[in-house]
Amino acid sequence: MVIDRAPYGDLHGREALDMAFSLAAFDRPVALLFRGEGVNWLRPEQDGDAIGQKTVSRNLGAAKMFGVAEIYADSTALERFGLNGTTPEATPVHPDARFYEQFQQVVQP
Amino acid sequence: MTETPAPFGPGYTLVITGAPYTSQAPATALAFCQALLDTGHRCDRVFLYGDGVYLASALNTPPSDEPDWTAQWQALVRAHTIPAIACIASCLRRGLLDEQEATRYQKAGANLAGGFDIAGLGEWVEAQTASDRVIYFHGGH
Repeated sequence: MVIDRAPYGDLHGREALDMAFSLAAFDRPVALLFRGEGVNWLRPEQDGDAIGQKTVSRNLGAAKMFGVAEIYADSTALERFGLNGTTPEATPVHPDARFYEQFQQVVQP
Repeated sequence: MTETPAPFGPGYTLVITGAPYTSQAPATALAFCQALLDTGHRCDRVFLYGDGVYLASALNTPPSDEPDWTAQWQALVRAHTIPAIACIASCLRRGLLDEQEATRYQKAGANLAGGFDIAGLGEWVEAQTASDRVIYFHGGH
């Protein structure tokens, strides 16, 4: 699953995460890739309460519980948003064509 | 050698995540689905997710000289008995309810269009193995 939109503004990321968790709950292989503005999902010290929303990083924290072990982040985007080295939950990658070839099916809601 | 359409060719699941009128997703998916059936392929199911569930609203009332995507999809899935499933979590957030959910949440009415059913993401997960192909129709950014 690819999440490429910033959190909070719309439901895309939340609903993509629901899809990923469902796959994992049914023991299907799933990996998450954050890229573009989506890397802001990984920003430390989020507090959604301030805008009356659930904190998305807490949603993401449930990934391990559901068995979603593979979480990646586009290193270029991390750099762009000043998140280098601050996202221990995600493995930085350079998602080129070869990276996508590892996955049979890529879902980008 | 000419290829004849196989009546039981590859099966497809179509996932629509873009809403009608604000995106082209339901219209493109409709044309794709029609093309599948015309060429002897199977459409195993249609799954509406995210904003795609707006397609299943019985209350969509476009002007009479504009396409009624809900009615066109209804006609297609009924004619070919294709299961058309709308994700329950997406539906509830966006005010799409069948009779059962309207009663459960004590809402004034139900608005799920005939031909569509509400179910969970498990239907989509199952499609990953049940269908040969799962094709996504998204709204634009």
